[in-house]
Formats: sequence, C-alpha cells, structure tokens
Amino acid sequence: MTLGSGGGGNVMVVSEEHGPFDTKHMRINVGPQHPSTHGVLRLVVDLDGERIVHIVPHIGYLHTGFEKTMEHRTYQQCVTYSNRMDYLHGFGHDLAYVEGVERLMDAQVPIRAHRVRVILNELNRIASHLVFFGTGILDMGALTLFFYTMREREQILDLFEQVCGVRMNYGYFRVGGLYRDIPEGFEERVRAFVDGFPKMMDQYATMFMKNDIFVSRTKGVGLIDAETALAYGLTGPSLRASGVPLDFRKAQPYARYDDYDFDVVTSDAGDAFARFEVRFREMRESLRIVEQALDMLEPGPVQDPDRRISLPPRHELEESMEAVIFHFKLVTEGFHPPSGAVYVPTESARGELGYYLVSDGGSMPYRVKVRVPSLINLQSLEPACKGGLFADMVVNIASLDPVLGDVDK
Amino acid sequence: MTGDAPASTPAIVEAGPLVTRVQRLLVEQGGEPQTFKGMVTVRIARTRVHDAVRRLKEEGFDLLSDVFGMDWLTFPRHSGPRFSVLYNLYSIRANERIFLRIDLDDGEEIVTITDLWPGASFMEREVYDMFGVTFTGHPDLRKLLTPEDLEGHPHRKDFPLGETPTLFNDGRFLDPAAFRAGLIGKSRGLTGWVGGARKGVVSEQVERVKATKRVQVPTIEKRDVDGSKDSE
Repeated sequence: MTLGSGGGGNVMVVSEEHGPFDTKHMRINVGPQHPSTHGVLRLVVDLDGERIVHIVPHIGYLHTGFEKTMEHRTYQQCVTYSNRMDYLHGFGHDLAYVEGVERLMDAQVPIRAHRVRVILNELNRIASHLVFFGTGILDMGALTLFFYTMREREQILDLFEQVCGVRMNYGYFRVGGLYRDIPEGFEERVRAFVDGFPKMMDQYATMFMKNDIFVSRTKGVGLIDAETALAYGLTGPSLRASGVPLDFRKAQPYARYDDYDFDVVTSDAGDAFARFEVRFREMRESLRIVEQALDMLEPGPVQDPDRRISLPPRHELEESMEAVIFHFKLVTEGFHPPSGAVYVPTESARGELGYYLVSDGGSMPYRVKVRVPSLINLQSLEPACKGGLFADMVVNIASLDPVLGDVDK
Repeated sequence: MTGDAPASTPAIVEAGPLVTRVQRLLVEQGGEPQTFKGMVTVRIARTRVHDAVRRLKEEGFDLLSDVFGMDWLTFPRHSGPRFSVLYNLYSIRANERIFLRIDLDDGEEIVTITDLWPGASFMEREVYDMFGVTFTGHPDLRKLLTPEDLEGHPHRKDFPLGETPTLFNDGRFLDPAAFRAGLIGKSRGLTGWVGGARKGVVSEQVERVKATKRVQVPTIEKRDVDGSKDSE
C-alpha cells in the first residue's frame, strides 16, 4: 500500500491480489464503481510507468444466475429473463431465445411477426449503438454529445413503449410470434423516425468522426488484428473492425434476414476508431433494413396458429371448453418440446449471441447456456490494452462495448 | 442429442462438406457423431480433447464460439457419466458449425485448450465455476462469476435455486427458508440465526452476536392463520 500515487478517488493501490508482486510495476485497481467501466467491471492493471503491462478483468458483480433461473421456468416465462441480460439490446436477446425455442418446436412463425421482429431488433441495435457512442465519447471527456445521442435513443424507446408498454426489458416476443400486433399508426411513426434519422447521423458524423480530439484519442489505439481477434473469440462489430466480415444475419440468416438487402460493414484498421466507425456505418445499414421491412410489412396474423404453443383466441374461450382447457394448460404448465438440444446463432449489437437450449421433454428447459458476446469479447481487452497507455484503456473498454449485464448473466 | 447411449455403430451423419470431413477424422479416433435439427455433435473421449480441437483448428474451424458444461443428474433415462463439457466451434470460411462433447464424472479433469485459443480462458473458467470441472494446464483457473466465498457450483442440478443464505457485513444472516417461515407465522421471524451459511460458521457467529446483544432479533407477530376459524 505504500506505492500509492494512484490518481483520483476511484483509483486505489491494491497489494497482493494475484500472482507475485513485481516491485518494478505498479498494480492499480480500477472499478468496479468507476464510471468509465460501463457498469461494474473491475480491472486490475499492472503499469510500467504509463504503459500497461498486464490487465486482468474481474467480473461477476452483476451475476444473477439467469441461466439457472430459466431452468425453473416454462419456455414462455423465460422471455422475461432473456432481455434482462443485455439491457441495451433486449430485443436481440429475446429474438435469439425465441428463435431457439421455435427451432426446437418447429414453429411456423407468420411472416408479419418476422417483419415486426426485425424492425424492432434493428431499431434496438441503433439505440444500443447510440448509447455506445454517447458513453464512449463521454469517457473521452465530452459530455455534450452524450445528450445528442440520448435524444435519438429516446425517440426509439418511445416507439418501443408504444409497441409493448415498456422502454426496456420488453418481453414482447412470444414463442411462435408476438404478444400482439403493433398499434395503429406505429408504421408511420417508425417511418418518420427513419426519415429524420439520417440527418442526425450527418450531424454525428461531424461531431464524432471529424472531431479532432476524438480522432486523435482513437486512431491507432487498441490495435487488434484479425488473427488475434479470432484467437480471443471476438465477434460482432469489433471483429468486423478487424477486417473479418462475419455477420450471422448474412452467414446463417434467421428471422428472414435473407429477404433484406444490406451490406456487412467492415474496416481493416482494427483500432478503436475503426470499431467506432464500423458501428456508425452499421446504423445506416440497420436503417436500410428497417425501411425495407416496413415496405414488406403486410397485414396478417402475428402468432403461429399451432395450438401446441399458442393460446387460443379470446373469443373461443367463451364458446369452447377445449379452448379453455388448452388455455389453462398452456398458461399453467406450458408446452413440451421434444427431447434434444438446439443452438441458433444470431447477431446481437455486440456479437454472436446464441441460446444453447437442452430439452428433456418437459415444460421447462433442462439447460440454458447463453453464448453472451460481451463476456467473450471482454477478453480482447488484454491484447488491445497491452503496451498501450493507461489513459487509452478507457477508450478500449468503450470501443469493445461491453454491457455488464451481458457479461455477468 | 440426448443423454441416452448412442446407436451401436457410430455412423457419419449428414452435414456440410467440412463437418463431414472432420467427422471422418473424429470417427477414426473413436468419435460418435449425432445429429439433431441439423446440428452435429460428436462425442469424443475425454483424453482426446486437446488433440481433437487442434485437428479441427487445422481443418479450418477458426472461431471457438463457446465452451460450456452440462449436468445430466436429473435427465430422464440418462446413463453414463454425470457431466458433459461441450465445445462449440465455427468455421467462418465454410460457414459450418460443429459441437464436440466430452462426458466425464465428478473429479475427472480435462486438458485445457487455452494454448490453442486464448479466448477459451473465460469459457473454461466459467465451466470450472459452475460445474467444478478442472482444466489442467489452464494458466489462471479461478472462479469467474460467483463470489469467492460461495461454496459449491451453482449450475449443478443438486445446487438449490434461491436458497443460498445471505451474509451481511455485521455478521447477520438472512436464511430464505426461515425468512419465509417467519412471514407465514411458523417461526419467530427473521430467524437467520439458525440457518446454514456459506462458510458453515453460523453457530459461532450467532453466538458471538447474541452475546454482544448489538442486534435485536426482530419478531414478527403471529398472523392469524390458524385462528381464522374462530372468527367465522
């Protein structure tokens, strides 16, 4: 504890924590309450002067045991839990989960439900990237821009509120479709957003990409080449920023993503700037998808009529005893998928997201394993930070975009 | 994929060109492929993990997507070892995915693959944390998500859900079962004093706290559960 010269109130010196203590290096502790760690991420950093020699993430402060809890809930009830992991891209988690169960049940999801899911998922991706930008540049000391990105995010959250009544933690998707159809006038509101957003994006382009301070803080910082990225299991926009065009929306289309015309955005630089830039350009692609999905949106049912998984329509409950029984059984007991395991990889705002679901034939999953992108992406922090400046570590954390709920599950 | 024993002769299952090719390699070494909904899982011997994963990497599986555990304790009609560890590998170029499955019993170890994929570090640590499977040769095998003082491995099927007593800084315990008993009037209330603890030191702590009399044991008045007949 005598080595202490550690900066402000949030940084403190820790002694014997891990491994032998090297007196040449200074070991300091960052977080878990540090504002720039995007949640409760704790890092133990070994410094040689200003250079990072070694960095060890300590996680689990937000561990909630979602996977274990889901083993004790019916398949439909689990939708409540999935979106609470990655609270910034909840629809992505919901989609990944219901896609998995639908694969298990061979459900025939109506095309309108797919379109609505894609619209919401892509809007959510934009909202998630907006938070990424706002907080990312906030970490570099610019508070104002945070409010700009929050302004647009607010518009998106308002749209979500109209659809499912809440702004986060949606639980709107059902196995086999949607909770209900989108409200009247929703399409026009989305269209208004889609028309207005590119103008804001141009504003951001000036504010971020041409901002001298931002560029000099991120260009050439936190280099991760493609080989290292793959070795560390990096996926998502961060991997695409290293030049690997892996996007599961294109590679293994789910939710009818193959109907839409969009590009996989990549960059070869592999630095923090590229990771920001890829996400920035990705927002335009998401917007393109939303636009096309709106054009393709046609009236129709939003729930698989299969009585194994879907509740009977309300009017039938008043006429048919069977309908009442089906309703009761589905609500209290749930449905029984065949014994087996499925994994559907999806592209979340952070990377490869998939639910490995094991069914034993019962009404609750026997095992749920979520391949959460943030947890595995976080390991790339070490190659990105090693040899770099301590001040750049904050930029690297921001550019990898971890959501700690997604890290800790 | 079920927990049941596979068919007697392992046959190569239908899949994409790359997965078909590597299946042949794995079957030569005693692997047993299975398929379910287009997903190929090859069961291999525990001792062959490192070799098999290295071969798959050489054959073009460039992304180690995940490593995770399974506990078959309560799986219906399951026979064989209690645990499984699964490796989820993906080839970007071929756009194909394969799962490797290793069955093992409590106390058996697996050789780490962190030398092939440094990204396996967190994944193996999570399996170690949640199932208690040890990976030999792992450079930093510590618990990943659960607190240091939590005993047991939460994803094992015999680990109870939501029944872990909560330890507070001043030495008090909140025992969930006792807490619920207090709410329905079956006991004297927040009787965390008699519950189990993470470290098994409750009784000592309880005695010490009781002796100091710093903390009053709150009592919840008995609700009129049984007496409801009288009023009717």
